Amino acid sequence: MKSTSELTDFYYKELYPSLSELEKTRLHILSQFKWYGTMGAVAFIIMALWMGKSFGLFHPLMIGIVIGFIVLASITYRFMIQGYAKDFKAHIITPLIAAIDSHLLYNPDFMISQHLFSRSSLFQHDIDRYSGNDYVKGSIDGVALEFSDVHAEYQTRDSKGRTQWHTLFRGLFLVAEFNKHFKSHTVILPDLAEKTFGNLIGGWLQSQNSSRDSVIQLDDPEFEKKFVVYGNDPIEARYILTHSMMKRIVEFQKKISHPLFISFIHNHIHIAIATQKDLFEPSIFTSLLDYKQAMEYVNTLNNTIGLVEELKLNERLWSKS
Amino acid sequence: MNVISIIFVLIAVIAIVMYNTLISKKNQVDNIFGGVDAVLKKRFDLIQNLVASVSQYMEHEKTTLEKITELRAQAMKPGITDDQKIVLDAKLTAALGSITVAMEAYPDLKANENVMHLQRSLNEAEEQISAARRAYNQAVTDLNNAIEMFPTNLMASYMKLQPKKVFEITVNERANVDVGALFNK
Repeated sequence: MKSTSELTDFYYKELYPSLSELEKTRLHILSQFKWYGTMGAVAFIIMALWMGKSFGLFHPLMIGIVIGFIVLASITYRFMIQGYAKDFKAHIITPLIAAIDSHLLYNPDFMISQHLFSRSSLFQHDIDRYSGNDYVKGSIDGVALEFSDVHAEYQTRDSKGRTQWHTLFRGLFLVAEFNKHFKSHTVILPDLAEKTFGNLIGGWLQSQNSSRDSVIQLDDPEFEKKFVVYGNDPIEARYILTHSMMKRIVEFQKKISHPLFISFIHNHIHIAIATQKDLFEPSIFTSLLDYKQAMEYVNTLNNTIGLVEELKLNERLWSKS
Repeated sequence: MNVISIIFVLIAVIAIVMYNTLISKKNQVDNIFGGVDAVLKKRFDLIQNLVASVSQYMEHEKTTLEKITELRAQAMKPGITDDQKIVLDAKLTAALGSITVAMEAYPDLKANENVMHLQRSLNEAEEQISAARRAYNQAVTDLNNAIEMFPTNLMASYMKLQPKKVFEITVNERANVDVGALFNK
C-alpha cells in the first residue's frame, strides 16, 4: 500500500492530463451555469415584481415560486454535472484506487449489499429505501474487504397520511474479514447517553436498552467514554476488543470527525462512518487541481483502505488462516 | 394503618430487588469463571502437545519444561479452589512466556510447521484467557462493589456473601519475565 504523499504525487503527476482535461470541462460547465443562473435570477426578479404588483409581495404564491426556482436550479445543476461526475470517477477515482492496490476493484454505480448492511445490526430500524454508489471490493494484505457509500432510509406517515422519509444512515460502510474466530455478536456504538446524561443515568439508560444485548463494561476509560458496547458474550467481546484494539479504535475515531459504528458478527468486522454525504462527488465550484480538494479524495480512500493496517486485521498470530 | 402497610410493601420490594441483584451478580461471576475454566483447560491440552513437540529440541530448557508440566498437573488436579487456580495460572503464564522467548533461539523449531501451528493456537488461547480474566475481573468487581456498598452490603452480610479475589493482570506479562533467572536455576 502506498503512503498519502506517494498518492498525492500520483494524483498530480500521473493523473495530470486527465485532471487538466476535466478542469476545462468544469470551467465550461461553470460558465454555462453562471449564464443560466443570471437568466434565472432575472426571470425571478421580473416574476417577483409582477407578483408584487398584482398580489402583494408576501402572498403565499410567492413561497411556491421561490421553492420552484430552487428545485429548478438543483435539477439543472445535477443534469449539467452528470457527465462531469462520471468522467471524474472513470479517469480519477478508478486509477487512484488501482494505484493504492491492484487487488481492488471499483464500480461507481454499485453498492454494498443490503444484506450485509442489515447483518451488521448497527442500525435496528426497518429499511424502506436503500441506495448507494462507489463500491470497492478486493483484498489488502490478504484481508478481504468491501465498502461503498450507503444511504439507508425509512418512512413514516403523519396524522394526515403524508409520507415522510428519514435518514437512518448516510455515509461510508465497510465490511472486512476479521482475523480471529468468534461466534458471538459484539456491537460498538457512539456513547450518546453517557455524554448527554452523565455516567450514572446514562449508564443506567444504556443497560435498559431492551432491543440490544447486555452492556459490556470495558477496562479502557478512554474507550468507555467514547463508546458503548453491547454483546451476547462478555468473554468473546474482550477477546475481540483487546487493550490494543480498543486503543486503535479510539485513535481512529480521533482521526475522523464523524460518528463511528462498529460491529463484530459472523467472523467479520462491519464499520459505518456517518459522514452524512456522498464520498466521491465532485463539485463544479472547486477545482480538482486544488490541493485541499485533492487531499480530501486521497485521504478518504487511503484512510478507508488503510483501516486494514490501522486495526491490524492483517496480523496472523492466531490459528485462523 | 395504610401508610404503614405501604412502607412495609416498599421495604419488601427493595429487599427483593437487592437480593435478586446480588444473586444475579454472584451467578454472573460463577458463570464467567466457567468460561475461564474452559479456556484454561484448552490451554492445558495445548501445553501438553507443545511440551511434547519441543522437548527434543530444547535440551537447555529442560527444567522450565518440567516445571510447566508439573504446574499443569497441579492445575488439573480435581478439587482445587478457584483462588488456587488463579495463582497456578499466573505461574504457568510466566513459565510459558519464558519458553516462547527461548524458542526464538532455536531455528529448527521455527521451521517446524507443527510447532508453529501450536504456537499460534497457544497465542490464541492466551488471548482468550486474557479476555476471560478481564471479563471475570469485571464481574467480580461488580459483585464486590455490591457487597461493600450501602445499602446492598446489609443484604450481602445477611446472605453471608464474601468479596472475591480478582486475577492479577500484568500488562507486560511476557516482557517482564526474567528469563535469565528462570534458566540459571
